[in-house]
Amino acid sequence: MTSILESGYAFWNPIIWIIAFVVVMVVVYFFRRRGQKTYKKDTAQTQIFLCGEEVPEAGQRHIRVGNIYWGFFETLKEYYNQVLRPHTGIINDYVLWFVAVTAVSAIILLIAGLAK
Amino acid sequence: MDTLITHSSILIIAIPLVTAFLIPLVGMTSKKARNALVIVSLAFVAFLVFALAKDIAINGIHIYTLGATSPDLTTPTGFMVPVRIILEVDGMSILMGIIWSIVSLAAAIFSLSHIASETGQNRFYTLLLLMVTGGFGMMFTSDLFNLFVFLEIASISGAALIAFRTKFADTQEGGFKYIVVSAIASLMVLFAIGLLYAQYNLLNIGALAQVIQYTTPDKIALALLLIAFTMKAGMVPLHLWFPDAYSVAPASITGMLVITSHACMYAAFRVCFTLYGGMLDAPVVGWILIVFGLLSMFVGVTMAVFQKDVMRFMSYHAISQLGYMWVGVGVGLAVLGNPELVATYGRDAISGGVFHILNHAMYKPLLFFTGGALFHRTGTRDLTKMGGLAHKMKWTTILYIIGTLSIAGIPPLNGFSSKILIYESVYQFHPILTITGIIVSILTLASFTKAFHSAFMGAELPEYKEVKEVPRSMIIAMVILAAGIVFITLFPSLIVNWTIHPAADALIDQGAYITAVTGAVP
Repeated sequence: MTSILESGYAFWNPIIWIIAFVVVMVVVYFFRRRGQKTYKKDTAQTQIFLCGEEVPEAGQRHIRVGNIYWGFFETLKEYYNQVLRPHTGIINDYVLWFVAVTAVSAIILLIAGLAK
Repeated sequence: MDTLITHSSILIIAIPLVTAFLIPLVGMTSKKARNALVIVSLAFVAFLVFALAKDIAINGIHIYTLGATSPDLTTPTGFMVPVRIILEVDGMSILMGIIWSIVSLAAAIFSLSHIASETGQNRFYTLLLLMVTGGFGMMFTSDLFNLFVFLEIASISGAALIAFRTKFADTQEGGFKYIVVSAIASLMVLFAIGLLYAQYNLLNIGALAQVIQYTTPDKIALALLLIAFTMKAGMVPLHLWFPDAYSVAPASITGMLVITSHACMYAAFRVCFTLYGGMLDAPVVGWILIVFGLLSMFVGVTMAVFQKDVMRFMSYHAISQLGYMWVGVGVGLAVLGNPELVATYGRDAISGGVFHILNHAMYKPLLFFTGGALFHRTGTRDLTKMGGLAHKMKWTTILYIIGTLSIAGIPPLNGFSSKILIYESVYQFHPILTITGIIVSILTLASFTKAFHSAFMGAELPEYKEVKEVPRSMIIAMVILAAGIVFITLFPSLIVNWTIHPAADALIDQGAYITAVTGAVP
């Protein structure tokens, strides 16, 4: 079969996954169809309701990228302080990193060669 | 047809090269004719690549000797070693060729509309085709000096293309950084080639592999080659230039630059597996790749979550995804000296890494193209200024979702197929590799969800009321790559058996590469 990928321990068949996904979708659709039927398009039912408050403009209520995962960044503040430090934007620093990594790699290879 | 196949490897390099220099002439007469010439030449090259791939699957390694009376006459009469320029295309090279042909064709189609309002389009397409030439040359050559030359061609044209849109100041800075980094990497490659040539008087990879002794200068040459290629491929901690350059290029070029990173990765693999092969201190070099790969995965994804520029965000994700490939192939390299471990999980780890190159080559340019589509219509790369674009750009939204699900390794998309191969194989080497991979996948999905929400979700914003879907040629280019994703998703086994396993075996079997050129195993 061209779809069955043997990974050494198990197998992966996307076709089975897709069939299972379609079955789940059909079941979901079935339950959805049995739901509330009094919904009316283009009426007040479709308006956003915020406890009776005035709904802000589209631009005001869109959660922008800077406000997402605030807690994640706050928790990892120290990590980000460290990892942002080499990102100076200065090409001299980039070249310095290259020289340092090349030198360390060469030393590792030479020492490993001596130990062999 | 047989003659065409015989000469296909050189034609694949020569056609874009010749077309590159025809472009300014044709462009002076007709813009449409120039565009048609670019697309037709790249489509024909893609046809040749697929024809050559079929031939290699049937007949094995393809050899082409330039200037010889017969293309397979690698050693001229009266010589003991190969001295001519030789192209050697095996399972690994042709896989890279397939990737490059598809992505460069898609990028050219995407460019038709994406750069339509720019001046100097003749120069743009000339440089694009030169970059294609350089890429194919790097993938097909078996000569170290030619590898350097083709690396230079790809790098110089790449730098010029990054800086192509001169109206933006950051493009000049990005192009400058790219050319400085590329020049230093190329010089180190040249210096390493000099070290090897001074000792062995050879430049052909197969012939060199037969006699290489792994002396102290050889080890220094290995360090220079490995680190130069890994820097060009954007491996952490040598990735710092990567987002600066990739994020400012036209999106079609960024998609191609990702594949030039793959080409540099391929060159690093070729050096480790084929040039040094059995002589290599494989566990040490393997661990170097694994450690840098893990760093790339984690630092890349955590930096990506942090970004607000859509193209920088995607650039950091490219670094993170390249980490998976380094880890997969690094594990295979670390156990290369132990045939039992290679059979148990080493081959699967290499296959997973190589499979991830193919998958990444489909979804990453697609995601860069969607980023380019957003920039094309909104005029900004800043995610904080975007929102509600799914109302206006339905095709771009759907294609972005396909790319996102794929890069995050969500079943049944193709990214999952290669990740499962990597996870299961590298787990036996060390469980922490798989654990890191899964955490990085979760962070990848989280960050792409964040970008998706910022750019596409929410109510229609008043500033984007006039925004329309991108032109048809840009959609077609993205659909080509999405179709590749869908095909690999549905038939992973077909892809693995026909392209991935032969590529992994080509890396493992150093003897086959050497024998094809010299006729003898070391």
